[in-house]
Amino acid sequence: MSEFRPILRPVLGTKQTVSSATLKLSPLPEGTIIHVLARPGEEDIVPFLGSLAKAAQHAVRPVSPGHWFIVGEEPMPHQEVKSLFAALEPRATGVDQSHGRVRIRIEGKMASRALSKGTGLDLDPSAFPVGQSAVTLIGHIAAHITRVGSEAFEIIVLRGFAETLWDDLARMSLEFC
Amino acid sequence: MASLVPCPNCGRRPKEEFTIKGAALSRPAPGADAADWFNYVYLRDNPRGTYEEYWHHTSGCRRWLVLTRHTLTHEVAACRDAADGSQLEGGA
Ligand SMILES: [Zn+2]
Repeated sequence: MSEFRPILRPVLGTKQTVSSATLKLSPLPEGTIIHVLARPGEEDIVPFLGSLAKAAQHAVRPVSPGHWFIVGEEPMPHQEVKSLFAALEPRATGVDQSHGRVRIRIEGKMASRALSKGTGLDLDPSAFPVGQSAVTLIGHIAAHITRVGSEAFEIIVLRGFAETLWDDLARMSLEFC
Repeated sequence: MASLVPCPNCGRRPKEEFTIKGAALSRPAPGADAADWFNYVYLRDNPRGTYEEYWHHTSGCRRWLVLTRHTLTHEVAACRDAADGSQLEGGA
């Protein structure tokens, strides 16, 4: 076994929060992100996932047909991850993405205006209501966007792209800050 | 211009989110003649008009789609998930 222990450092830990009366950009805690892949033919799996996710601590976000993210603010202990994966089988398979993806929150009156500079997704509340998720491009970076409030969005992005995306979002927000 | 692609899973999205693979052709049987395979792998009709092609929603749902596109006007007549339904029209 290696003498070196990997040190987990929040990738956006050194970023300055971008904040004004109309827009706020903040890194979310690097808690839990579980990627769930359903087996082909598993139709009504959402209630099943909802029952496995702890209602108070976790949210289930649709990704694409047959794919979901289970997200939470707190890191999930290893044993809990193992039993979750066991409970998912055989209907679905879980992959721990907690260290692979990062969540960013953008909120405020101008949040959708700022985001619209980077994505072709229709962010109007009639087309993209609270609770809805979508994978799309923000600039050149693929990201998963969820409307978590009427004026608040959660963005999930691959960790390696998180800093670049943050810098892009900060630049897109400049005129509102 | 097919700049907005109606993905059946994601809705209308800009073409930048997609990767275009080319003509959607029926694959020959494994034991088919070498000529059939050569035709399938290398030869394309390049029609002027409507034809079907594979698009991958790379920066979206990551599903393979079959898009019916007019090569002259770029109008998209239909777009379906490649895993769904009907056989491909274009024979090899
Ligand atoms: Zn799609």
